[in-house]
Amino acid sequence: MDAVTLSVTNAALAGVAEEMGTVLVRSASSSNIKERRDCSAALFDATGRMVAQAEHIPVHLGAMPESVAAVIARGPQPGETWILNDPFAGGSHLPDITLVTPLALGGEIRAYACSRAHHSDVGGMVPGSLPAASTSIWQEGLIVPPVRLTEEVEQILLANVRTPEIRRADLAAQVAANRLAERRLAELRLPLDEAFDAVIAYAERRAREAIARLPDGRYEAAGEVELEVDVPIRVAVTVAGDRIEIDFEGTSPAVAANVNAPLAVTRAACIFAVKVALGAEVPVNHGLFAALDIRAPEGSFVDARHPSAVVAGNTETSQRVADTVLLALARASDVPAQGQGTMNNTVIGTSAWTYYETLGGGQGASSRGDGPSGVHVGMSNTLNTPIEALELDFPMRVERYELLDGSGGDGRHRGGDGIVRELRVLEPATLSLVTDRRRHAPQGLEGGGPGRPGRNLVNGEVVPAKATRGLAAGDVVTVETPGGGGWGRLEP
Amino acid sequence: MGGISVGVDVGGTFTDLVALVDGRLVTAKVPSVPGAQASGISAALAAAGLDAAAVGVLAHGTTVATNALLERRGARIALVTTEGFRDVLEIGRQDRASLYDLAAGKPAPLVPRELRFVVRERMGPEGVVVPLDDASVRDAVEAVAGAGVEAVAVCLLFSFLHPEHEQRVGAALRAALPGVRVSLSCELLPEFREYERCSTTVANAYLAPALSAYLEAIEPRPLVMQSSGGVADVATAAARPAACVLSGPAAGVVGAAFVAGLGGLGDVLTFDMGGTSTDVAAVLGGEVQVTAESVVAGVPIRFPMVDVHTIGAGGGSIAWLDEGGALRVGPRSAGARPGPACYGLGGEAPTVTDANLVLGYLADGAVLGGEVTLDRELAERALAQLPVDELSQERPTSSLRDWDLTQRALAAAVGVVRVVDAEMARALRVVSVERGIDPRGLALVAFGGAGPLHACSLAEELGVERVLVPLASGVLSALGLAAADLRRDYVGGSFEAMEAAAARDLPGAETERLVDARYRGQSHELTVVADCWQANLAEEHERRYGFRLDAEPEIVTRRLLATLRRERPSPRNEARSTEPRSRPAFVDGEWLDVPVHGPGAAVIGPAIVELPGSTCLVRPDWAGAPDAAGTLVLERTWTR
Repeated sequence: MDAVTLSVTNAALAGVAEEMGTVLVRSASSSNIKERRDCSAALFDATGRMVAQAEHIPVHLGAMPESVAAVIARGPQPGETWILNDPFAGGSHLPDITLVTPLALGGEIRAYACSRAHHSDVGGMVPGSLPAASTSIWQEGLIVPPVRLTEEVEQILLANVRTPEIRRADLAAQVAANRLAERRLAELRLPLDEAFDAVIAYAERRAREAIARLPDGRYEAAGEVELEVDVPIRVAVTVAGDRIEIDFEGTSPAVAANVNAPLAVTRAACIFAVKVALGAEVPVNHGLFAALDIRAPEGSFVDARHPSAVVAGNTETSQRVADTVLLALARASDVPAQGQGTMNNTVIGTSAWTYYETLGGGQGASSRGDGPSGVHVGMSNTLNTPIEALELDFPMRVERYELLDGSGGDGRHRGGDGIVRELRVLEPATLSLVTDRRRHAPQGLEGGGPGRPGRNLVNGEVVPAKATRGLAAGDVVTVETPGGGGWGRLEP
Repeated sequence: MGGISVGVDVGGTFTDLVALVDGRLVTAKVPSVPGAQASGISAALAAAGLDAAAVGVLAHGTTVATNALLERRGARIALVTTEGFRDVLEIGRQDRASLYDLAAGKPAPLVPRELRFVVRERMGPEGVVVPLDDASVRDAVEAVAGAGVEAVAVCLLFSFLHPEHEQRVGAALRAALPGVRVSLSCELLPEFREYERCSTTVANAYLAPALSAYLEAIEPRPLVMQSSGGVADVATAAARPAACVLSGPAAGVVGAAFVAGLGGLGDVLTFDMGGTSTDVAAVLGGEVQVTAESVVAGVPIRFPMVDVHTIGAGGGSIAWLDEGGALRVGPRSAGARPGPACYGLGGEAPTVTDANLVLGYLADGAVLGGEVTLDRELAERALAQLPVDELSQERPTSSLRDWDLTQRALAAAVGVVRVVDAEMARALRVVSVERGIDPRGLALVAFGGAGPLHACSLAEELGVERVLVPLASGVLSALGLAAADLRRDYVGGSFEAMEAAAARDLPGAETERLVDARYRGQSHELTVVADCWQANLAEEHERRYGFRLDAEPEIVTRRLLATLRRERPSPRNEARSTEPRSRPAFVDGEWLDVPVHGPGAAVIGPAIVELPGSTCLVRPDWAGAPDAAGTLVLERTWTR
């Protein structure tokens, strides 16, 4: 394909995915999708290769091919839409519900539309479906294997969730996004198969050229997720010519907690790290995936199998996989030091209301300058809840919301500072914290110092990284998020 | 008020003027003087042969506030806020600037940490939680006094509901620091969401000194275009400088809406393609679409602003081949200096303007703005640098090496125009399809130096059947200024109080009651007419989001829009059709001898119409004629 048609085709197919994403955000009802944009949309070819993705949130990056493959294996027909959230059959964690629609032009399936959205409740042991203490998948909510989305299936789903009306509206938004792709593809007047091949080949060329510029070698790094004991992650990233292999040999087996990650989540974190190392210009589609080889020991906590609990694998382990791979790649590429490496999930609620928030922290410093303070790093980029909105909606008062001075690591360039957010509950409630980097600090690079680990406190007493407990009226929850690592030795 | 009504738009490169003298449009275009915007106004008046004393109303569009914000050259200011929340301004909404470029910093806050001071106090939804501590107020005032600032912003939590503490802090500051401007968030924007309210208040304090000084120096006293698309007197504009940051783009959209309205069209997409950037917007029912959710230069400003979408591509955008082998246009631009290669000012990179010249759409030897002469040979040389063998779709039988420079440049030019058109179409989809508006029923109003060249092919891409090219397309922003109504926006408090304020500020103005409403549990609002707001909310929700929601609606904020109509210019078409010339142009794969018309002619495509300040390409299957105001109205005669 010539350079002009290629450019126009790239823009057209990316435009279809972006418009799907816009429709999804625009027509969704829940604030988690509408405001926090915890959703993604992508276009696949008839063989299940990803062609284009609307980029909203990195944790969904490249994690949907498994969903489409799982549906294709079951023989979908034109006119159907399939639904799934089973982490062991194409999903990531149960709140992420994925819809896959075969797109038929002229009666034949020519492509697939795929949309994924974080639904703020899918049943299970706690409101919000993000339990801190689950040990098996059944406690985390309703499991939907890949099935046709029929009226009956939707009824079963809605009967199992706490907020069925909002779920129904959000599902309708996902269907609308997928259906839009069919109309847009028909309008494109492009030879579709040729267009898909060209766009994928383009991304693969860009990825391979960028990889070829990295020095060959085997780069190792280690990290951990904090439970009562540490759960180790080991990674070896091998750059060989224009390929990258990422191997998690030596990583812990799955654990009896909810930090296990299915391979699709691990893959998303790896793709994120590679894209950061290669530069933001490299497009994300099957062409990039083709230049990567990702392996993990079967049954390890980064390739968890049924019936492991996985809900925090998506939020916390994905972060640690991403910043461990980035740490390894730091010896081959000019990447920033480690950021806070956690989403600091904070859930406070009763049977009547649920407040869910993730908190930003310090980003790592880089050769280009200091790390930004008080931002989401890695696999999330969602917005905070304004204090005035929070206090109008919930019986809580925010006592403090500031940057934690000096929590970023020292260095020629300083790591970004973490945040302190202090909340007083005005009536009895339940607190659930799923956080990390409370014992282990984000590391600096090139002689830069580590960031300060975070802390969780209730009424001034330290509580662990992962904790669930009751709160009395007047209790104060303080979350201090980690600072980012510094870059470069501090000049004496 | 007697005298001539004049609009003057001071842009980065040119200062444009439109005046209505005895029903006749007088236009002028003079170079802007960097750093001395006001001097461009007198130069433009002189160029138009107008006596400043004869000017009744001078409406002015300015980039002074915009540039101060973009370049972070505003005043040194302080912020006073609630203890425990000093960094709300810096944390923002916690999102990072770029998903994958982790080293990309957030834009620096307009007030650095050492100039953010706190007072001990707390209001909650129900009122006082912690009483205002007088000692902490004294400390804060002393700290501000010692900081040597030109202005100070005050934003305390929940002041939009309970302003008493904020007012007391403001009074203390005003009493102690008579020379320092004090902006209170409860006066400026009594709306919830502390970060956005604080950011708007801070932007206002930050821009106030520069904009006030600038406006004070202009004679005659102008009306100033606000971002909302309405003009205001100097005192109002100087008090709300953050409401003027989109002054320039707003004027263009108002001008386009005005011209479309003269032709009886209320629903249009506006397409303003200039040298380095392109602004697109939607106009529905004759109303410029405004939003209160704009972010300008990384700073949220919650004043109503024209909902304009800007992309960094224009006539000066540079074409290049990326390492994956795709032809790209922009974001790098040749700017005004050295400009496109064909300007002959030393630019060597191939640009969109070079491509339009090589294709014959612009005339070789044409003179732009009285000082630049287009040179086709330079354009060819620049375009031929692109690796043409990668660009050509149908490979000729002879080897490409045998192609001469002209053939290579031609192949490149066709590609550059196709790529830039795809980008423009994408921008137009953002302000239409993505806002729930079907572009197919709308007309496209094309202006700016390069807009009318690309309008027909964009219309084809979007399924739009009608294109309007205003006679004054090169100076449409200035026309928008001459045509704009006086407007003031009020927010918060009761309708009655806001109406009383409007009667005081703009005697005789029409007022409209609006509410920001939502369904309980949602965290986003829609602005709708207050009368029958529930039905309006349901309707708007369906239009924007595609469905109705069976939930309890609630009002979040009350607004009042006050508009004082000004006498509108009614330009007449005085251009007389002249015998067309012709020149070769490359259209749909072949060289055709295409008629070249001046303004005022009825045309059948393919044709070229040369207007003052712009050139229009009428593609095959398009035809049209000027309307009574001189706007060229093109319709698609046949859809392939």
